Parts: sequence; C-alpha cells; structure tokens
Amino acid sequence: MPTSALVSAVIETAANKILALDPDSVARMASLKGARLIAYVDPLPFAVVLVFSEQVDVLALHEPFQDTVATLNHKDCCIKTSLDTLPELKHINQLTRLIQQNKLQVEGELAVAQQVSGLFQQLDIDVEELLAAKTNDVVAHQAMSWFSAVKRKATGALSEFNKVASNALIEEKQIAAPKLAVLHFSDEVNALRDDAARLDARLLQLEQKSI
Amino acid sequence: MSDNHNNTSPTEASDAPTTHFGFKQVEKNQKASLVANVFDSVAAKYDVMNDLMSMGVHRLWKRFAIDCSGVRAGQKVLDIAGGTGDLTAKFSRLVGPTGNVTLADINLSMLKVGRDKLRDRGLVSNIDYVQADAEALPFPDNHFDVVTMAFGLRNVTEKQNALNSIYRVLKPGGRLLVLEFSKPTSEQLSKLYDTYSFHILPKMGQLVANDAESYQYLAESIRMHPDQETLKGMFETAGFDQCDYQNLTGGIVALHRGYKF
Ligand SMILES: C[S@@+](CC[C@H](N)C(=O)[O-])C[C@H]1O[C@@H](n2cnc3c(N)ncnc32)[C@H](O)[C@@H]1O
Repeated sequence: MPTSALVSAVIETAANKILALDPDSVARMASLKGARLIAYVDPLPFAVVLVFSEQVDVLALHEPFQDTVATLNHKDCCIKTSLDTLPELKHINQLTRLIQQNKLQVEGELAVAQQVSGLFQQLDIDVEELLAAKTNDVVAHQAMSWFSAVKRKATGALSEFNKVASNALIEEKQIAAPKLAVLHFSDEVNALRDDAARLDARLLQLEQKSI
Repeated sequence: MSDNHNNTSPTEASDAPTTHFGFKQVEKNQKASLVANVFDSVAAKYDVMNDLMSMGVHRLWKRFAIDCSGVRAGQKVLDIAGGTGDLTAKFSRLVGPTGNVTLADINLSMLKVGRDKLRDRGLVSNIDYVQADAEALPFPDNHFDVVTMAFGLRNVTEKQNALNSIYRVLKPGGRLLVLEFSKPTSEQLSKLYDTYSFHILPKMGQLVANDAESYQYLAESIRMHPDQETLKGMFETAGFDQCDYQNLTGGIVALHRGYKF
C-alpha cells in the first residue's frame, strides 16, 4: 500500500473540507490559483505538494529537495523544515528568525507560503450555524458557549507555553522551560482536559434531550 | 514470456492468428470488439464496481501514479484508456488553464460516462475527449509531456504496438506511466488473490452489475497480463529509457515508468 498516497489523500480531504466551511475562502484562494507550495518536513520521507485551483490538490513528491528547487517556476514556493518547527510557521513575523536559526529553508516565491498560511488562519467558520443545521439552535448555542470557554483556556495555556518556549529560544538559554512554568502549564492542561470531558458529557446530554 | 500468443490451436480450422481474451483463445481481429462488449456492458456501473472490488484502494493506486507523473502547470497530458476519467480529473487541475489533458479511450460508452462525470464537476475548459485505439494513436509525434495508462494495457490486443505508439507521441524528456494489475510477490498473497478474483469477484459482478461474465473476464485478463519484468522489457523494446516499476499492495498492482530521451 503506498503510504504516501494515503497521507496525501487524508490531507487533501481534510484541507478541502475545512476550506469549504468558510464561504470566503473561495475568494481568498483566487490569488493562489496556479500556485504550488512544496513542503519537505523532516522526518517525512516524501515532500507534500499543495496545488491550488478551485480546490487544493495534495500530492506526495518523491524527489530530492535540490532537484525540486531546480524546477520551480514563478508561482512555486519550496520550504524545508521539521515537524517540530511546523507550528511556529503560523507566525509569519517569526520566519526570519527561523531562517537565521537554520530551522527553515525557503526557495522560490515566499509570498505563496505566506498566503497559504494566511488562508488557513483567516478561516472564519460559523460552527454554531453548522451545529444548528445538524441538531437544533438551543443545542448549538449551548455547545458553542462551552466550546468558547474551553477554547479561551486552551489559548491561554498555549500562549503561556509559547512565551516560555520562545523566550528560552531567543535568549539561547537552555531549551527546558523553568520548572514553575512547566508546573503551571500542566495545571492548565489538566483543567483543559477536565473542561473537555465536561463539554463531551454535556453535549451528549443535550443530544439525548433534543432527540 | 511473449505477450501475444500466436499459437493457433491445431484443432482450429482457421489459420487466422489468435490471442487471448481472458483464458479463451480468439482471433486477433475479434479481441477489440469482445473487449468493447465488456466495457459497453460495465460502463454505467464501472465506478461503483471499482470502489467495491478494490475496497477503495484503486483510488490510492491512481493517486500514487499521479504523484509519480510529475505533471506540472502548462503541460500536455494524454490519459489513454482513460475510461471514466479518474486520472484526467486531477490532471486537469494540475496542468491548469495553460495546459491540456486528452482523455482517450477506444470505447464510446466509457468516454461518455467520463465526460459527463467531469462536466458535472465543472472540469471543462482544458480537457479533450478522443475516441482512439492505443495501438494507433491519432496524435502528432513528440506531442505530450506525460502519458498515463491505468488498467488499460491488459485489454489491448497488441500491447507492444500500444507502447510503440505511445513512445512516438511523447515529447523527448516525457514519461509514460502504466498502472496495471500484476503478479503478487508472495505465494500466499497470490493464492488469496486468486480465490478473491475467481470466486468472489464474478459473484460481486453478478450481484451489483448483473454481469458475472465481464468480471470473470477481468479476473482472467489479469492472470494473462505480462508480469513486472516482462512488461519492463516491453518498455525497453519500445525505446523507453530508465525503465523501472514499483509494486503496490504486494504486487497485485505495479506502476511501470519509462522516459523518452
Ligand atoms: C479497466 S478500464 C480503466 C479505465 C480508467 N483508466 C481507470 O483506471 O479507471 C479499461 C479501459 O481501457 C479501454 N481500452 C481497452 N482497449 C483499448 C484500446 N485498444 N485503446 C484504448 N483504450 C482501450 C476500455 O474501453 C476501458 O475504458
């Protein structure tokens, strides 16, 4: 079984499903038409290629980085990074730092990478409306207020973690976060887990009520 | 192993050269119309049956072939024996408005199902539909950047002619990809696969498409198709360079690739 084909199929289906949830993404994708973003992400044994038209096609590429770079055209961007660095790419203003630290290599049209990152970050999905279509308005509203509370906590915990991690990196101190911050972070994660479990149970209750 | 069996049986009155149609020996000039009957008969249910028979895995095999095609914006692609257009759909988006895809098939019923499906998906502007025999392609020399043939070659009467013809229409630097059923690499898988194709498959064909015979032919034609190394040799005979193949799902299917330089 070609594993790479399975991986690209999963990414393609997920990306198109997510983009379809936001009616504005069609307009935002227009400027990307014909563009390709090729990502070599260590330790993946193949590169992932995103090709933009009315939708996103995802291919797995089995060519070495240098060969790909040699054939880029004006709407192509090729990046090389690692799985650990991937989450940091969403902060466009951090790209220079990542390049300086050799954590990211960019060849070709950088604007393509920036637009792709923007495309997924600017998604404005009305989950409440989607839920309402599947359940009913009351259930959807309840679920959303729980979800927002959980999301607030998650964002708080994550940004705390990001601050700690990036301070450690920028100052080129030891990578390990200070003990207190780690303890605080794990408290936040525990609270988040409890909230999620509560939300799950609540959703189940509401679902049963609405049937 | 020779692909086309010129072994007219001694009991036959006719001296006309024969070839295989599944496990049967038929006159060479009859094979194309027999194959046409099969695909006329399965065209309407073809996509459903493909998903059912392969449990959806045919989509991954095709995806892998597309990954290996290296198709880029602006290129000209020929999807020969393209049938209902699975590969063509993706190529159409990959080559974009500056490129072009030709979906060619010998069978009009399959082409029509393919054309309707692609039009329903809004894919129109850069696809041409051509009824053509792979053995005598009606295109100029050195015309296409990439040619693909998925699950089509085993149905062709003179496979070497088809490979020669594809070589002619490929541009120098172009590549051919042939995705086709092949020989499982392990003995056990081979037995399992035989049971599946000769016992389960025709029954499925009967149940879903009310057509056990066509699916019996499918199983037999797979068995009669040249194995990996033989097909690679045929690529080389046609003039292709850097020929290689990759077994998929234990060799049930193989993707052969060759370049014209
Ligand atoms: C099993 S279908 C494959 C269709 C499609 N490529 C796919 O993978 O789904 C085989 C196709 O080969 C076509 N075919 C058979 N003999 C052919 C020939 N000599 N030239 C062109 N096409 C041929 C049939 O009409 C049929 O559509």
